Amino acid sequence: MSDYIGEVVESGTKGFIARSPRVGEAPPFGSFVRTDADSPVYGLVYEIVTGSREPGRKPDAYDMSMEELRREQPQIFELLKTEFHVLTLGYLDRGKIRFTLSPLPPPIHSFVLGCTDEEMEALSSEDFFLRAIITAQNVPADDLIISSLLGAQEARKNDRDFMVRMGKSLSRFLKDDYERLASILRRLL
Amino acid sequence: MLNFHLVKSQIDSMMKERRDFASEIPDKIRLANEQLRLRSRDWEGLSRKIDESKTSWLVAGISSPLDAVRPLPERPRGYTALSSDGSQIFPDRHEALPCYLINVSSIALTYGDDARAVLGSGPSLFYKDEDRFTTWGGKRVPADSEVISLRRTLMEFESILELLKRNGADRNTIALSDGTLILWRLEAAPPDFRDAVIVPFLGILEEFRNLRVPVAGYISRPGSADVINALRVSLCPDRVSLCNQCPYTELPELPCSPIEGLTDGFLFSTVLDTGEASPVFKSSSKILDTYGGHHIYFFYINIGEEIARVEIPEWVVRDEELLTLTHTLIFDQAKKGKGYPVSIAEAHEQAVVKAKDRDFFFSLVREAMVKSDFSVTVSRKGLSKRVPGV
Repeated sequence: MSDYIGEVVESGTKGFIARSPRVGEAPPFGSFVRTDADSPVYGLVYEIVTGSREPGRKPDAYDMSMEELRREQPQIFELLKTEFHVLTLGYLDRGKIRFTLSPLPPPIHSFVLGCTDEEMEALSSEDFFLRAIITAQNVPADDLIISSLLGAQEARKNDRDFMVRMGKSLSRFLKDDYERLASILRRLL
Repeated sequence: MLNFHLVKSQIDSMMKERRDFASEIPDKIRLANEQLRLRSRDWEGLSRKIDESKTSWLVAGISSPLDAVRPLPERPRGYTALSSDGSQIFPDRHEALPCYLINVSSIALTYGDDARAVLGSGPSLFYKDEDRFTTWGGKRVPADSEVISLRRTLMEFESILELLKRNGADRNTIALSDGTLILWRLEAAPPDFRDAVIVPFLGILEEFRNLRVPVAGYISRPGSADVINALRVSLCPDRVSLCNQCPYTELPELPCSPIEGLTDGFLFSTVLDTGEASPVFKSSSKILDTYGGHHIYFFYINIGEEIARVEIPEWVVRDEELLTLTHTLIFDQAKKGKGYPVSIAEAHEQAVVKAKDRDFFFSLVREAMVKSDFSVTVSRKGLSKRVPGV
């Protein structure tokens, strides 16, 4: 498996954490990903963290350019890790995407792949992913809505109708919070 | 439980004594420095006197002026530093099974255009009779912490050698080890046990020599005083110093005492600038009589943050190119590691087995026993420690 973008290192029902195979590289914030399994779990990247592999060690400042660091301190790149956190949106059940939490979390050490345009189209065909974001705890919901919508729209070849449809859904979900809705919509333009 | 009230008062008395000694240090250092300059003029005379003298302390063998400073040589753009360290879980006879574990790291850091880093470690579990027992003076005794530590030392050097063979020896490669290359603890060991360690150890050094890769032991903040002791011999008014027949014991202070208590580190901090190294001295440790062509020599180096001691085998000293390489690469390694060679620091980090790892290891052993239907019996002492009652 050479084209995977992460490996699940912490797995839960509501989401999972994946380790990137290369330090500093990760699928962008708000991108749609899936696990590599018979029954893949789909989700959205909502947090990317690079830091020390060991809890007791913290990266230090070296006063060197990236190139100098690679030449003169090559070991530090072995001691860092990049992980990304994924919010679960749904899973594949006998060929059909279900917009609900998977009965079982993805197996630990399963690989994570970026979703294809077709998968993104399917995942954004309904507004369930927006509701999943809004109701999730501890995710930067508004920014995640914006990034995922822009990503989905690109996968749908800038389909204007899609954006209008999702805008309507958002105004329904956020009908009690006009300021928030307006802030999201303004940033989508 | 530790009674900190009582500990604190003992710490205070320790501090008082340290203060008294510290106030004498500047004078002692000045005197030692004067002696160093003075004796450098007739270093050959002092060298002869040292060879003939019999002292109760380790005295540095001298083969050049004492204050001859070696400037920092230019560093090759690309080089490789190899290192290894080990950590262990000692056998605990109160545990369910008598076994022990040694975890050995292997580090290869390559710098320059081809820069890369290999960091890793591998555990070895010892449980067979031949591992758990050792021959000591013709008797079969259980391997204790000292035996296990020596086995660990051998494994560390084997691990570096293996790395070297796997990676191929570039021209600019150095093997670094934390601590001394002088296995002085073996001096008191019976010959059968001593040979069981020394022979393979020297065999490994021989392989490094054949590959022409210098091996160096690095000692941070050394407590050694071999050069100070050489100067104490020079302070002795007798033509040859024979400590066991010292004629000055009636005096209020021995002629060699004024610089007693100093370390070589103190002395060379007044002599060496950052990057500079001292001349190379010969160690007079008794165990080195068994080292043959691998007799250990040492020098001091100012790495900026402190004075470190570097130990090298004789064949590195005799090969000017290897000696120069050792000097510059050790300095660069220490600079990269902000005062301590980065390859040795990483070797430690990769090898270390922490207290909680130890507990987890023994719980894995117990669990495996239960799964295999063995009855797990822990000593009452072990049990009492785990679940202390009131």
